[in-house]
Amino acid sequence: MKVSLFEQVPYRYMPEGFENQHNSVVTAPYQIVEPARMTESLFSAYAELMHGARAGFDGICVTEHSQSSYDISPNPTLLASAVACATRAEQLDVAITVLGRSLGKTREPLKIAEEYALLDGVSGGRLIAGFPVGLSYDANLNASLPAIETRERYREHRELILKAWSEPRPFPWNGRFEKYGQVNIWPRPVQQPHPPIWIPGTGSPGTLRDILAHDYVFVYLSWDGPKLTGRQVFDRYWELADELGRDRNPYRLAFLQVVAVSETDERAEREYARHLEAHYRSGLGAIPHTAMAVPGYAEPAAIEGMLRSAGPAGMLSRMKTATYSEIVDSQVAIVGSPATVADQIEAFVREFRIGNLLVMLQNGSMPRDLTEKNISLFAGEVLPRLRPIWDAEGWENHWWPRAAEAVPEAAGGAA
Amino acid sequence: MTAAVRDETVEVWDSRLRLHVKIAGDGPPQLFFHSLAGPAWPPLLNRLAERHTVYAPEHPGTSPGDPQAIREVQTFWELLLVYEELIGKLGLERPAAIGQGFGGMVAADLAVSFPQLFSSLVLLSPLGLWRDDAPIPLMEMVSGPPAEVLKYLYAYPGSEAAQAAQAMPGDPAQLAKAIAQATWNVGCTTKFAWPIADHGLGRRLHRVQVPTLIVWGREDALVPVEYAKEFGSRIAGSRVEVLDDCGHVVQADQPERSWTAISGFLDG
Repeated sequence: MKVSLFEQVPYRYMPEGFENQHNSVVTAPYQIVEPARMTESLFSAYAELMHGARAGFDGICVTEHSQSSYDISPNPTLLASAVACATRAEQLDVAITVLGRSLGKTREPLKIAEEYALLDGVSGGRLIAGFPVGLSYDANLNASLPAIETRERYREHRELILKAWSEPRPFPWNGRFEKYGQVNIWPRPVQQPHPPIWIPGTGSPGTLRDILAHDYVFVYLSWDGPKLTGRQVFDRYWELADELGRDRNPYRLAFLQVVAVSETDERAEREYARHLEAHYRSGLGAIPHTAMAVPGYAEPAAIEGMLRSAGPAGMLSRMKTATYSEIVDSQVAIVGSPATVADQIEAFVREFRIGNLLVMLQNGSMPRDLTEKNISLFAGEVLPRLRPIWDAEGWENHWWPRAAEAVPEAAGGAA
Repeated sequence: MTAAVRDETVEVWDSRLRLHVKIAGDGPPQLFFHSLAGPAWPPLLNRLAERHTVYAPEHPGTSPGDPQAIREVQTFWELLLVYEELIGKLGLERPAAIGQGFGGMVAADLAVSFPQLFSSLVLLSPLGLWRDDAPIPLMEMVSGPPAEVLKYLYAYPGSEAAQAAQAMPGDPAQLAKAIAQATWNVGCTTKFAWPIADHGLGRRLHRVQVPTLIVWGREDALVPVEYAKEFGSRIAGSRVEVLDDCGHVVQADQPERSWTAISGFLDG
């Protein structure tokens, strides 16, 4: 089992009740920001990722969102690059997962090929390359690209990047969206023909099929909670794997879980409850539903399916008013003592066959000291229980950078 | 009176597209290019069908059962070529053209690109131009809450015509299908109008050589009335009619006055 620290970069001082007046994306008013607090919010994210690398996580993971108050990370390779250099200097061989530059949103796909290659180089071959389509609000509102072309751009850009990484000689690219006379990027990735490729998605059959057909990793970012939507997505994934002749190697699957650990269950609730509520309400809860699917982004059959689905609705639609008990009951966040947290995670990891776990330990208004406590406790007391889960089955993780293969010394709670 | 409307399928674009055209009435040919929302048969077309043969083509991808047709048309220029082919395949000799909103932009650029294609042009609050001091909230409307769409389109959202245009089926399965289709339709049209519906039309509108009527609602909350004179001043000899107490969908908010303007122009 590989466990990575996943971090977004929220502004940590969102005013109370923000979600009742404003959206957290696209039109979020910048006037609420105090510059010193923005600086602190940004720097804390870098510092906490380093804290996680020192504490013994197998990897760190960052994401991209523009014009957003809940993840101020317009280009995650910047953040990842700083961590790549610093961890190398400290000989911390963590994997660097960029989850990632959005290929359906970019107007400059070759820039992504170059940035990822550079990152793989400076990290000494520790990059995991995330190839997300991009959320609709980001691709179609922020970047203002026609929604109906989002996936076509994604496919062309992915093909171009892979070719730019592996083609030995300069080549012309006459695509529908991109035209280049001489593609010949410097540097190329250290990991050839390409770094491990992870693709986040919401679990539509088309995406899952594409991932399995290409032998990539499916990353499920469960903002809905594993209890509510995990079952249907993961069952579908493994059934499709059987159908396509892929093995049930758990490392084909990565999963994001929000976690908050403290010494006891009671103390965890006392310390984290208000931060979790504020995070969901003013962050994901303040993204208008319509901005997640600008007309043309989803195929008509998918929209119809969604509207007719009788399945359990996830928490995502109720985030704006989420209460602490709803958050923990649905396992949108797993909160408690190390034993409580480890028990709950181990149960769904085994049930769904998850080989790569991403844990999000900073949320919304959580200050740096509390976040670092969460990171230390998780790394010291939860991670050791999770790491050997798949050892007995003897699978190889083909989707992990070789240079990040050595298990870091766990520095435990004292990190 | 409701006209008997038939559906014809026409193969164009080197047989890669089968465009659906709704046809009704009898008399000289009259084309209707629909708005961003997709295919529609408003009462205006029934009135036109009393004296014309009305042809209402459906934008690629918006015909039920053929959503992927939109993939065959990659650029706005290709869309214009597709329609020019369609008019030829239908065998129409210099039809009159009416376009609404997005359809107005299509009709205007067809008249620009093929000056002998139409006999006359009616533009109902068309898209196609942009002024920084009169922004068009197209992105806000399309990505905003569905309940707020009405406020951009109608001065009288409660009118029979506005309600009929927005009607949805009551049966849940049919409703899901209808919402999916309506959403996709907007995806298909905004492909050529996103985020700003300006393909440079303003620099070539002088090429329009046919009699042109421009109709606008003074309270248009989508494409502000300032654009009426922008179109009017660029098309030599055009007539501009601005209707009071009227929003974007002029034939819904002011059915009689817009009909008087349109029929007067077509008969004149």
